[in-house]
Amino acid sequence: MYIAAKGGEEAIQQSEHLYHLLNGELTIDTVRMIEKSMPYLVDRVMGEGSLYSPELAALAIAQTGGDLYEAVLLLRAYRATQPRLAYAQPIEPGEVLTVRRISAAFKDIPGGQVLGPSLDYSHRLLKLDVLDGTREPQEAFQPAEQPAPPAYPPVAGWLREQGLLAEAKADATQAADIPDVTTENVLFPAPRPHRLQAMARADTGGVLSLGYSIMRGYGLIHPTVNELRLGHAEVTLTHPVTGEKFSAGRVRVSQCEVVSPGGDEKGYAIGFAATLGWNEVKLIAASTLDLDMASQDGDGAKHPAHEEEFVMYHTEPVESSGFCIHFKLPHYVTFASGLDNIRKVIQATYG
Amino acid sequence: MLASLSPQSARINPPQIVTEPPLLRAHGIVRRYGRRIAVDDVSLDVYAGEVVGIVGESGSGKSTLLRVLNLEETPEAGSYRLRAAPKLYETDLLSLGRFEKRTVQIHHIGVVYQNPHLGLRMRFSSSGNVAERLLIAGERSFAALREAARESLSASEFPIARMDDPPRVLSGGMQQRVQLAKALALKPALLLLDEPTTGLDVSIQALVLDTLKRLQRERRLAIVLVSHDLGVIRTLADRVMVMRDGHVVESGLTDQILDDPQHPYTQQLVHAKL
Amino acid sequence: MTALSSLTAPQQPYSYGYLDAHAKRELRRRMLKAIAVPGYQVPYASRELPIARGWGTGGLQVTLALVGPESIVKVIDQGADDSVNAANLRRFIARMSGAATTTDAVAATLLQSRHRIPEERMREGQVLILQVPDPEPLRAVQPDMSKSAQMHADADYGQMWLSLYEQLVRFKQYIQGASYPSLVNGRHIISPSPIPRWDTPKLHLASHLTILSAGREKRIYAVPPYTTVAPLEFSDVPFQVEDQSGRACRTTGVRNRFMNEIPQTDGTSQFELSDSGYAEKLANGIMPASTYYDENGEFYHAGILKPAVRPD
Repeated sequence: MYIAAKGGEEAIQQSEHLYHLLNGELTIDTVRMIEKSMPYLVDRVMGEGSLYSPELAALAIAQTGGDLYEAVLLLRAYRATQPRLAYAQPIEPGEVLTVRRISAAFKDIPGGQVLGPSLDYSHRLLKLDVLDGTREPQEAFQPAEQPAPPAYPPVAGWLREQGLLAEAKADATQAADIPDVTTENVLFPAPRPHRLQAMARADTGGVLSLGYSIMRGYGLIHPTVNELRLGHAEVTLTHPVTGEKFSAGRVRVSQCEVVSPGGDEKGYAIGFAATLGWNEVKLIAASTLDLDMASQDGDGAKHPAHEEEFVMYHTEPVESSGFCIHFKLPHYVTFASGLDNIRKVIQATYG
Repeated sequence: MLASLSPQSARINPPQIVTEPPLLRAHGIVRRYGRRIAVDDVSLDVYAGEVVGIVGESGSGKSTLLRVLNLEETPEAGSYRLRAAPKLYETDLLSLGRFEKRTVQIHHIGVVYQNPHLGLRMRFSSSGNVAERLLIAGERSFAALREAARESLSASEFPIARMDDPPRVLSGGMQQRVQLAKALALKPALLLLDEPTTGLDVSIQALVLDTLKRLQRERRLAIVLVSHDLGVIRTLADRVMVMRDGHVVESGLTDQILDDPQHPYTQQLVHAKL
Repeated sequence: MTALSSLTAPQQPYSYGYLDAHAKRELRRRMLKAIAVPGYQVPYASRELPIARGWGTGGLQVTLALVGPESIVKVIDQGADDSVNAANLRRFIARMSGAATTTDAVAATLLQSRHRIPEERMREGQVLILQVPDPEPLRAVQPDMSKSAQMHADADYGQMWLSLYEQLVRFKQYIQGASYPSLVNGRHIISPSPIPRWDTPKLHLASHLTILSAGREKRIYAVPPYTTVAPLEFSDVPFQVEDQSGRACRTTGVRNRFMNEIPQTDGTSQFELSDSGYAEKLANGIMPASTYYDENGEFYHAGILKPAVRPD
């Protein structure tokens, strides 16, 4: 029977206990409170964790004291062990149960602009009275006079009918045959599904940073938001025995399309991004990156943010954060190896 | 006529000029970028020891042609042969794969760019820039690499005391000499020059041209020289090709073209320089 | 009547060895390919694990795909078995597989290591799994992986040699520290984990199998048993390992092993064995196995390490 040394193990267990002690008690109430009152936070963790489960995401946030990279890692590690039971049908934009859709390209669009829930036009003032115990009045929300239709035709469809978009290449790939970035190795140039999947689970801050660099001045294109859409989508599965399609539930999704004059191609080129949960800033940046990367395919990129490999590697939240914190690990052997050289050079050069 | 070719007459050969075939033979080169045609059906022969100048304004296709000759770009049509090594001539270089192209490039083609950043690693030593070609070719003795770098740099009249300075701290003229030493390190048969002295002071330019001329004579190099500077062309080139919009509008002996241009475009070019 | 539940295996929160069967199958196939083409970096999907990326997830996936109930596992971090990260990984592997653990390099069947190869010679049948942060030796000269893959395909290593040339020009010696680039089987240049140069020759014609795995960068490569591993060196300026002469371990008194330097408040340094499993044996009076370097610092394969030469 072989038993390895124990010294380090005791230390790491105590360290973990202390961490949780300082975060307060982890209870079901905390988890429910986070799930109910912080949907955008939960959405962000679900999107980057690429696992749709508000309950588990809320648990991950609570369990890590709100350290989002740790929370995303928890979800990802859990997800990696789950079996793939079935592949859902692709979600068509025209079928999303839309609560918000806006287009910056036109004043009005077929089906109309739907402002939906947003802080875009709010005054960013801290509601300090809440701290005094004043109860925030629930402003009377006026329902629209006429109920809005549940779904809207995509703006891109209108552009396509007008002959303003390069014809979309019909892709007959079955849902189960779409390459999966989580179970396959990624080589470059990556298939487009890999690129879109990587962006769907990319770090919000990382995507924003690279996307912003393009928007601000290192870009090849000027994006216009053709359509930004938040809504609920049916997760449609095919019954393995009867072959009938059925809904396994609804998920919150965001989709964004940006357009730019297509260069050599006819009309406008489109950049697209989608993710689980509602996350507008990430999708505008991601679809801009998608468009810019597409315009660079097969050509020498002028800026790292135009290059698929650069964008995909450096916006991956689990890899980038993990590698960054790994520098806390001891490196004294590698350091000693370099030190040996430095000493020899100093001795030979300066005596 | 055929009847007159009796066995007897075949034995009595008429006097003929004995020539070797051209070292470089490019035929029907076409290079497109999207809808734009950068080089349209251009053919070119260069003999060993000969300098062919290509003139034309920017956008004429002359630099694109040079990149094709350096195997950096693959044209849509054409063939390209180099009589630089036994057997090599039998192959159309444009049909080679990436790996073989690189081997030909390293061993048989030297290049000097106008912009030294394209040809040199600015932060590495000058000697290292020269040695890199030998390293790629498989030299693994440090002493031999030093010696070869020293030799090639001296041949380019580069001051040996500065052989380990990185190009970024050198003057423009010195940088071009490092490029030249690198280009000639493996003693290639073909040298490609893309505006090699443009941007240098006139006095420095004259010195670099002198070095080029001497090396060309000593090593019997075949040179393709791209320049918009007719003075440089006149100094170095034996023959000239005038390009415009991807086409060759006129070609011939240098003196003939520069002193008595026939094509209106060439006339305009020559007069603009006077 | 038999209840249905009695016929099925009890519900387990995780698969044996944590990874699901598909992930293990992929890993094993990639390992076989890596062994078939020594030194070639085989891409793989790389699953997320319950430890952070960059903390040994590459090595851990390989270990989890190889471990069985009969395995005896040793985990090393910077030479030590008792550092917190080594302890954490060992705890996880044992928890997920039920395998026995050890600090004895000779007794172990699977050795997962961050940045060291044990001092005692490894034997046939053992597998050394090295954690790799950056698998790409060409990274410094070509950060773009699609381009560096092409350079490997063409054996286009001129720039690697050029960087050695530059080191000699500037410093009169090679200054690459750990992870010294080495040519495997005369074909592919690898980045050896980052093990110190002291450990690099141990890979050459080794009796054991070495698998190197980078979880974050998603690459596996291997040095099969009895395969040549040659650190890059010019024919007239030999490669040098870290100088251990004049150093004696402060607890065991042993010399000519890789030492940790412990700075003292008086400005001097003391030294102790980096290989804690080996130190433990010496401290307990257990006879260690033959080591790669003898008491005089001579390497067990003659002619591999040569005296230093300073070029002109």
